[in-house]
Amino acid sequence: MGSKAGRWRRTALAGHLETGHEGSPKKDAQGRSQSIEAVSPAHGAIMDRLPAAFDQSFSGASEDFPALLRRKALLQHAPDLNASDGNRSFVPTESTTILAFKFSGGVLVAGDRRATAGTTVVYDRADKVLEIDRHSIMAIAGVPATAWEMARVLEHSFQYFRRTQLQEMSVDGKVRALSKLLRDNFGFVMQGVGVVVPIFATYDSSAKPSARLYFYDAMGAQFEVTDYAATGSGSPAVRGILYYENNWGDKPLQKLNEDEAITVALRALDTAAEADTSTGGVDRGGKIFPLIKTVSREGITTLPEEKIAQVFNQRVA
Amino acid sequence: MIEEPYRWVEAIANRREYIETQLAAGSPIVALGYSDGILFLTVGRARQKLFEIYDRIAMGAIGHPGDIERLRMAAIELASTEGFTRSAADVSLRRLAHYSLSPVMKSAFEQVYGAPFLARLLFAEVGSKPAEDLFLRVEYDGAIATNGAAVSQARQHFAVLSATKPSADLMESFLKKERAASATFPETIKTALDAWTVGHMALSEDGTKELPERAAISKHRQEQLVAAGIEAAVLERDSRTAIRYRTLSDEEVRSSIAD
Repeated sequence: MGSKAGRWRRTALAGHLETGHEGSPKKDAQGRSQSIEAVSPAHGAIMDRLPAAFDQSFSGASEDFPALLRRKALLQHAPDLNASDGNRSFVPTESTTILAFKFSGGVLVAGDRRATAGTTVVYDRADKVLEIDRHSIMAIAGVPATAWEMARVLEHSFQYFRRTQLQEMSVDGKVRALSKLLRDNFGFVMQGVGVVVPIFATYDSSAKPSARLYFYDAMGAQFEVTDYAATGSGSPAVRGILYYENNWGDKPLQKLNEDEAITVALRALDTAAEADTSTGGVDRGGKIFPLIKTVSREGITTLPEEKIAQVFNQRVA
Repeated sequence: MIEEPYRWVEAIANRREYIETQLAAGSPIVALGYSDGILFLTVGRARQKLFEIYDRIAMGAIGHPGDIERLRMAAIELASTEGFTRSAADVSLRRLAHYSLSPVMKSAFEQVYGAPFLARLLFAEVGSKPAEDLFLRVEYDGAIATNGAAVSQARQHFAVLSATKPSADLMESFLKKERAASATFPETIKTALDAWTVGHMALSEDGTKELPERAAISKHRQEQLVAAGIEAAVLERDSRTAIRYRTLSDEEVRSSIAD
């Protein structure tokens, strides 16, 4: 477990503010089931042999899904950051390009399809734009294994919250949940594995503005944007294009219709791919197009490949 | 007190009687399959009684709110971790009830120095076609009823939960008679509401073994609906979305049964 000072630092860095989840699970379980045992001493004996679910049932209301997974050892803790880690330098290597911006129909999120390991292209059809629930999209730049796991945890967290608490998690709660996962993952980032820099887009018809868009840094800070966001190695070029389009283009991004928005997204990704080897752009020979999803009041729409191909051939190629 | 076997049997019998008395006030719950899914319906005044457990599984419960809550949390927790580590397709109601809930409820019931679960649960899992729907009732002693059908036989496409056995029996014979495989959604709601009414009437009148007259059913239903709310939810068969559970508002149900 390491020295006391070491533990404290890990706790502070990993953002484990609930001290209840530190320490051994056994102690945790006993501490929490006090009230049950007080009512019926006989239960304690039975429940020790049974799934933790029954032992912990009263704590369910205050426990979030990642904490439940850690209790069952289904989700790893990030490693401790020891003194010897001090000379490690943090190199953000998110080799990809993803972008998102608000348009007249909600939020559009687009990502290229290339996955790389160093200078090798390992996969040409990677899916980096992921649906989390009916109205939330997470797009990922970074290590796929960690990112997909994070998306899975997040997806289940929102459902688990709704099912146990009998109400939908608020948009702020969802944004914060992703932030917390990133902070919990920071030990891996400092070891040079597992960096994830996502974009989160959601639509909440009861709020004003309804379309909400956030980007994150690898430590979990969240930044809400008014118009557009881009991350990954190809993002400087994309940011330049989106800034230009928003200020001096035919119309601001938020006024674009769907076809115009697709055009801007495809042109931006093609530009990023021009200078960045890690970004796939459009593979004309293999007919591989970027993945584009939109989120609106009605929910998430994955634009069909034919539609993207059609816009590409008319306005980009 | 329980060193001798017959004392233990006596203690268990007393406990059964105690639990039955505690559960006697519960409002019945109906789960009724139709072509596009499964409808859950009950009429109540105070607490929520229908819950989402996982993508394709829902639960209705009568009993003590504290015990229902513990069992509900346990079911959600087990289903969620299974769905996370394997896949949503691996979460099955049969496993959840037979291997997780039932043994725990039985142990709690038979440990005479401890408190049993004061709850009776009704589960349904929607399948890709009506023949694959599964209905299960889990009793406070861990007994599982699968609607009277044996493993290899066709299942009845409904299940009920009530405070007393005569009431549940009457509801089942009503549904056996009235349920039509081709029923539309509004017709399904009406049938479920009538089945609830039959069950509720049997709770207030002592020892009725006969189904009441149609006019008596509608009269009782109208009287009850003045002061109480209809709680309803559906598990939709539509396979385009992963999450099939949807609650229906009181107005939504009332507008679809307005003649």
